[in-house]
Amino acid sequence: MSCARWASLVAGALTSAALFAMPVQALPETAIVLNSDEASMSVVDRQSMTEIERIPVGREPHHLILTPDGKDLVVASTVTNELLFLDPVTARERKRVRNIVDPYQLGYSPDGKWFVTAAYRLNHVDIYEAKDLRLVKRLPLHSLPSHLTFSADSNFVYFTVQGSNQVAALDLVKQEIVWTIDVGEAPAGIHVFPDQKRLLVGLTGEDAAVVVDLATRGVSKRIVTGKGAHNIFKMPADDKRVLITNRVEGSMSIIDLEKLEVVDTIKVAGGPDDVDFSPDGKIAWVTQRWRRRVAAVELSTRRILGTVLVGRSPHGIYINGPHTVSRSVLPPPERSDATAATKR
Amino acid sequence: MLESLTNLWADLQGRLLEIVQPLIHRFGLTEFYDDVPAGLETLTLGILQIAVILLIFRPLESLAPAQRWENRKLVRVDVVYTLLNKLGIIPLAIFLILLPLNDELMEFTRTVGFVLPTVEQIIPWLRDKPLLLFLVYFLLYDLAGYIWHRAQHGLPWLWALHSLHHSQRQVSTWTDDRNHVLDDLLFDIYLAIVAILIGVQPGQFVAILLLGRLIEAFSHVNTRFGFGRVLDKVLVDPMFHRTHHALANPAEPHIHDTNFSAVFPIWDIIFRTAHYDYKQRDSGVDDPVADADNGKGFIGQQIAGLVRLGRAIARSFSSRSARPTPAE
Ligand SMILES: [Zn+2]
Repeated sequence: MSCARWASLVAGALTSAALFAMPVQALPETAIVLNSDEASMSVVDRQSMTEIERIPVGREPHHLILTPDGKDLVVASTVTNELLFLDPVTARERKRVRNIVDPYQLGYSPDGKWFVTAAYRLNHVDIYEAKDLRLVKRLPLHSLPSHLTFSADSNFVYFTVQGSNQVAALDLVKQEIVWTIDVGEAPAGIHVFPDQKRLLVGLTGEDAAVVVDLATRGVSKRIVTGKGAHNIFKMPADDKRVLITNRVEGSMSIIDLEKLEVVDTIKVAGGPDDVDFSPDGKIAWVTQRWRRRVAAVELSTRRILGTVLVGRSPHGIYINGPHTVSRSVLPPPERSDATAATKR
Repeated sequence: MLESLTNLWADLQGRLLEIVQPLIHRFGLTEFYDDVPAGLETLTLGILQIAVILLIFRPLESLAPAQRWENRKLVRVDVVYTLLNKLGIIPLAIFLILLPLNDELMEFTRTVGFVLPTVEQIIPWLRDKPLLLFLVYFLLYDLAGYIWHRAQHGLPWLWALHSLHHSQRQVSTWTDDRNHVLDDLLFDIYLAIVAILIGVQPGQFVAILLLGRLIEAFSHVNTRFGFGRVLDKVLVDPMFHRTHHALANPAEPHIHDTNFSAVFPIWDIIFRTAHYDYKQRDSGVDDPVADADNGKGFIGQQIAGLVRLGRAIARSFSSRSARPTPAE
């Protein structure tokens, strides 16, 4: 029989199981990494730069988010349609919620009312009641809705629609898609400017991020970053700068949102994808999807301090602390005011 | 050791991807980003296997052959099968053919949210015993393979295709990949369904993954060398699998309907199909139509397999219509 092929699958299957190391220990100095090509998450000790534990979860976990109260970390498994609620510090499981269909990207509205998911493979987006995760509305969105972000007033969710090269706006009040616009090849990461008037969108099929003007609903500026421009993250304690990963280029660009230009570039090989920041805001931890590693990058020196081998295709990453990008609620109002003041 | 191997492998894959993904990007094939890593890994594993075949298995055939051949002419076409398979050409073709089906299947499983319990959920005790858990999965997949292989021998239209694998008179390490492409395709569909039922994820024990594949290439090696009378009940060796490839004869008309297991003989032992008599026999099929594969090239064999399949299907229909209706 045709043995070679099945054997590879077999052996693969088996390895799933592999490596569930060591008993549990609450270590605050950790990063939680989702191994999206497996059914596991890795707990990495940021001090010793080693993987200390590999915990089984549902199949193909890609992204994670904190609950609005910040008390639970929600890990979403796309194939097994489940959400795992964890203690964000110890990574211990608190509860499991089933029947959340293909939860690829996920987020809570800043007012804490809605929980929204993008079903990347099934081409729809879902609105759930945040408090009990009851499905309120399912809207088709073709094709490959990939990333999402909320307006500060919780009235809109903006999605990148990777397969059709578009950005779509979902009105959370009307609960319908109110507009879609073309932005460029394979849009991925999406970020609302602090002024709430523009969006920044990473174009993975190109080498740039584009600025979308919400008033005119058009692309007003193109910022060249690097090949495979992908996901976008607010810099620690800084509303004016964002970091964008360039997956194909193997780099991260820091974009100044006022000057609308790249102000710094950091080399990180291996298809850098998601990022989270250390509690002091000085180190960016980056998942290197093609290298099965996470890299620790010191932002001030642009130096890679080290890398840690984790599971296959590491994607979402979480670091417990004030600068995590996985917070769903807005930063405290005084900081937004300060931004507004400096703007004027 | 295992960790440094995993390390090495992860870095090799990473570096290769850093060369290949920019090409994918340049040609605007961004929708395949997520499929490229698996494809590239399959290819590198294939190259590694070819290296092992050339460096270990082939010398073994020369040093301690089970059968002595005047020449290796009939082997050549099997080398073509091996290269087409291990260098990813046939798997890629099948991947592209099955892409729409695979999408349907994936959409279905995701919509339903298949949450069949995994082995470690049923037996939580196994959770922190990775090697043991690995073994359980390995055994389960081997069982699935065993069942398919029984079907290949038991169902006439599947045998029409599988007989191509058996028609080789000069069974060698290259014969492992000698299969009808349609046979491969059907098996992949079967496997996709099994994977949904049992659960499967790509893992990282590449060392063990390689081992699994290599056992099968090894089981076809034309050599007297075996694992011995104890270990050959644990793992399939050339002697065991050679009996499966034996040429049926009037005294042993079903000798090839034994030893179906690909990796673990335990399935043959449990289902009473194991046959250990350590007798050297000629290889091949006692059907002149299938035996005519010998001497044909790759294309010729593929066509011959399809013709046999057509006839088998036609026969099954005619025999059905010839049967008296139950009312009479
Ligand atoms: Zn057979």
